[in-house]
Amino acid sequence: MTLSDILEQAKWTFSTRRVDRTRVAATDTDFATARPGDLILAHVDRIGQHRRVQLPSGRPSLIFPGDAVVMACGARYAPDQFEGLAEIDPAGADLLAGGGCIGRMVARNSQIRPATRLVPAARLLDAAGRTVNLADFALPPRHSAPRPPVIGVLGTAMNSGKTLATAQLVLGLRRAGFRVGAIKATGTGAFGDYNEYSDSGAHYVGDFTDAGMVTTYLEPLDRIKTATGTLLAEAGHRGCDLVVMEVADGVLQRETAGLIGDAWFKQLVSGLVFACGDAVAAMGGVAHLAGLGLVPDALTGMISCSPMASHEARVATGLPVLTKEDLSDPAEATGFALRAGLGRKEAA
Amino acid sequence: MKDTVMDCNAVFPDRITACSAAGRLTARLLRPAWQADAPPLVVLHGISRNAGTLARLFAPEAERTGRTIIVPHFPEQTWPNFQRPSKAARPDQALLALLDKIAADIPGVSGPVDIFGHSGGAQLAHRLAMLYPHRVAELHLVAAGWYCLPDETMRYPYGLAPGKDMASAKWARRKRAALRDFLHLPTSVYVGTQDVTRDAALRKLRALDAKQGAHRHARARTYVKALNAAARAAGLPARARLIEMPDCDHDVVRAITQNDLATRVLDARPSGISTSSRTIPQIQGDPT
Repeated sequence: MTLSDILEQAKWTFSTRRVDRTRVAATDTDFATARPGDLILAHVDRIGQHRRVQLPSGRPSLIFPGDAVVMACGARYAPDQFEGLAEIDPAGADLLAGGGCIGRMVARNSQIRPATRLVPAARLLDAAGRTVNLADFALPPRHSAPRPPVIGVLGTAMNSGKTLATAQLVLGLRRAGFRVGAIKATGTGAFGDYNEYSDSGAHYVGDFTDAGMVTTYLEPLDRIKTATGTLLAEAGHRGCDLVVMEVADGVLQRETAGLIGDAWFKQLVSGLVFACGDAVAAMGGVAHLAGLGLVPDALTGMISCSPMASHEARVATGLPVLTKEDLSDPAEATGFALRAGLGRKEAA
Repeated sequence: MKDTVMDCNAVFPDRITACSAAGRLTARLLRPAWQADAPPLVVLHGISRNAGTLARLFAPEAERTGRTIIVPHFPEQTWPNFQRPSKAARPDQALLALLDKIAADIPGVSGPVDIFGHSGGAQLAHRLAMLYPHRVAELHLVAAGWYCLPDETMRYPYGLAPGKDMASAKWARRKRAALRDFLHLPTSVYVGTQDVTRDAALRKLRALDAKQGAHRHARARTYVKALNAAARAAGLPARARLIEMPDCDHDVVRAITQNDLATRVLDARPSGISTSSRTIPQIQGDPT
């Protein structure tokens, strides 16, 4: 079977969605020098936590031992699952994320199964012998594109309700008549959030993979800021009036902390929503953000399911607690857009 | 509420229906043969739900001014409440969906719209503009029964102070968030000098009477004063004006046929009647 046949039959994962497959002309097995974003062909060895991989078409695919899969080498930070590094051991590697991230697991949440094991087969090269890397297919910089205002969505942790809040706010803003972009600035590439943003009617959806990274974990802050700028410029280029931008994980996570602690972030966001699970988390999160000079416009997330917890948080922080129905309500969402300066232009 | 002309269901070939989470809403669409460079006008009926009559009375104005006129109809059966966005009904969402549908279907009919509302329609119109000022260009309010004043000393729904319950606090917060943009809107408030009857349809509460006046005429005056005071307090120009219609009561048909109300509304925007802004449709191959 030729390389071409193997690659054609392989399951290319969601993180490779921007890759021009015709660029692949050769392979090597120099896994020791693999860098984040390099494309790796591997075979499924033993099924563990992930029983599926995500395809560029937006559907999950079951995987079976022996299946060939194309993924990107990358790290992973997911307190509910794994911590992993962008390292490929020729003897065996880990499927760190179903979106298509292969690396070495270094920590695992005790409530989940071990990672699905993979046997690396090849690193993909172009005709010049260079490794094919996601960064080769990143969006082009659009220096002259307008930068739409940004509403940031932060949270206490993974699964605090940020993605739902982002998607519902996109829906509310769209219903109010705005062209809305939805961006995920940090995290590890997967189609769940991407699809949820799209389903809510976002005019443009982008994440760090569109800017050339399979994950932002352990990436330099400047690269993440540049990638975010690229995504915002793309949203502006596509005609978005404003962008709702989710920053993954909790405010204490390495890259998120770096990003929101940077003066650049404070300048960037015109509005802020904070997702959390209970009133103490709300109080702590709001206090932490205040220390960074950031003041949320509203609380949301799992806390909003409980009227009692919401009441406690309102009293403790003085902020409104918005449910998903509130965020998707154009009457509520309009306030975010107007605060971002999308209302009537005042006479000079 | 009185109408001197019965709803005649005149033939208006263009009807458009939009679906939203709030429910279905249909409107008559008056499209002139030529298109002025001016926003569409949305005409909102009151509780007599006389959309057909209003469409017939506004039709000559659409042709004269080149303005597209949209006349939604909130039927009693599906929209028992339509004057105020609330938990019970969301006419605002239905109207937004309708405007989006029209913008998608008809080239050149997008952007903010002028809104005319009579009585209950004026209630909906000003509340819609308070929530979505970015979707409104000008407001024409005719004899609303009562208003949501831009006044944080009155409890919602009569003012913008948070009410006793969570829902009213939420609505008041939403309107406060958009208040500055709302106060920018040119707003014309029309009322008949004889619209002083405390009829069965008029909301009559001691606090409302004390704060806004005993009848529609007084309440219109109060509203214009409140709008302009709020604008000045916000450092904005006062853009609300009161237009009294002599010898006119609460009958919108009489206001249109005898007091030229429709003409005055359309002529409030000079570009709407400027012949220089006319775009005359041309027949392909016409040597002109």
